[in-house]
Amino acid sequence: MKKRGKGIGSIFYGTGYGNGFPDVSRSVAVLRKDGKVKIYTGATEVGQGSKTVLSQIAAETLGISIEDVIFICEDTSITPDAGTAAASRQTYNTGNAIKKSCEELKRKIIDVTVKASGADAWEEINLRDVALNHKGQILKGEGEFIAETTEMKDETGQGNPYWPYTFNVYGVEVEVDTTNGVVEVIKAVCAQDVGRAINPKLIEGQMDGGFAMGLSYALFEDLNIKNGEIKHNKLTNYLIPTAMDVPDLEKIIVEDPEATGPYGAKGIGEPVMIGVAPAILNAIYDAIGVRITELPATPNKILLALKKKREVAL
Amino acid sequence: MKEIKLKVNHKDYHVAIEEDMRLLDLLRNRLNLTGTKEGCGEGECGACTVIMDGITVNSCMVMAFQAENREIFTIEGLEKGGRLDPIQQAFLDEGAVQCGFCTPGMVLSAKALLDKNPKPTREEIREGISGNLCRCTGYNKIVDAIEKASEYRKEE
Ligand code: FES
Ligand code: FES
Repeated sequence: MKKRGKGIGSIFYGTGYGNGFPDVSRSVAVLRKDGKVKIYTGATEVGQGSKTVLSQIAAETLGISIEDVIFICEDTSITPDAGTAAASRQTYNTGNAIKKSCEELKRKIIDVTVKASGADAWEEINLRDVALNHKGQILKGEGEFIAETTEMKDETGQGNPYWPYTFNVYGVEVEVDTTNGVVEVIKAVCAQDVGRAINPKLIEGQMDGGFAMGLSYALFEDLNIKNGEIKHNKLTNYLIPTAMDVPDLEKIIVEDPEATGPYGAKGIGEPVMIGVAPAILNAIYDAIGVRITELPATPNKILLALKKKREVAL
Repeated sequence: MKEIKLKVNHKDYHVAIEEDMRLLDLLRNRLNLTGTKEGCGEGECGACTVIMDGITVNSCMVMAFQAENREIFTIEGLEKGGRLDPIQQAFLDEGAVQCGFCTPGMVLSAKALLDKNPKPTREEIREGISGNLCRCTGYNKIVDAIEKASEYRKEE
């Protein structure tokens, strides 16, 4: 018999390394000879879209088009350290560092134009002319952002382990086949607090990707470690979802600007994943009345749990 | 060693291959067509997908000699005169690429699907790309992109 159930999962997530661990991002903005601006930062693009979002932040701060931002990242021999692309921290931490470096570059440019011609209105300054008129001079701004957290005391719960926090909720509907134990997610919706959506399309991409990972974590992925050895060591037995296993996801972007974020933005890489498994497990409970307490919720475990429930009822 | 003739991306090739060479290695290492990726090497992930005589194959599971006198399309063969194929354009427009490792295979599976079925439903699209695994996108934007590509191709 096929049974349906609904469940929700809600989380909050602290951005960055946290707990007093040093968390620093740096950026350098340099005016090029042709009036374009080069941004140097160690932030790593792994497909999540940091290059795009960080370039947008630079363009916004300088009031120039994104085509005039030359973004140089990853090469550690020429870029300043911006920490890892981890802990959902690049948009927020490195975004702040880039904004600062661009603000400093802007101040320096205004300084030289005031001296040269008295011009101090940014809108009237032509960056190409500035670069031409100040050939011998390197105009650059440096930015550093440090997320200052403190360790939380276990006994008292006091401290400031993270800043800022991000909130998320998932709702899913599942169909459980009680004859073979297969769980199918048939409907899903994700609401994600983003602070401010710098690039909605990329945010949606992160939501879709996080959802698929969370679904996979809840239902499929099992290393099957026996005596310290990973038995499921290839894609034939370590299952991940195909396009047939992931339903369309309804995506709701919640904007509530974060006062300390670059233009109010926060990172969402991990938050979009965490709520999926609890939502699915709650939906399974709603459908068949059993609590699965160990992931993944494989057909075998579902059948076993149903059997136990029947035995208890007898 | 064996000499074979084959056509890749409209070009005729005459190459010497080893008997135990995979089509994937022929494309990547002999013809320098590195757009075709190797993920698992065992027919599971679809990163190595190419089109052979109109049908998608996992080039890690096809021996090079099996490509004799066949016509192959790889991701490099899609653009025309410096212009992206509508499918490639749709992937860009919809944000369907994250790390990009699955993308060449996805695009070729999409092409094989659209060549046969120019206006597939979302379900048919999901089925058409179900041999291609993607770890980043959750597939939804890829499905959006293939829907859009179907519109772009109609306009052309
Ligand atoms: S590399 Fe051929 S299917 Fe994975
Ligand atoms: S975009 Fe990374 S695997 Fe598909």
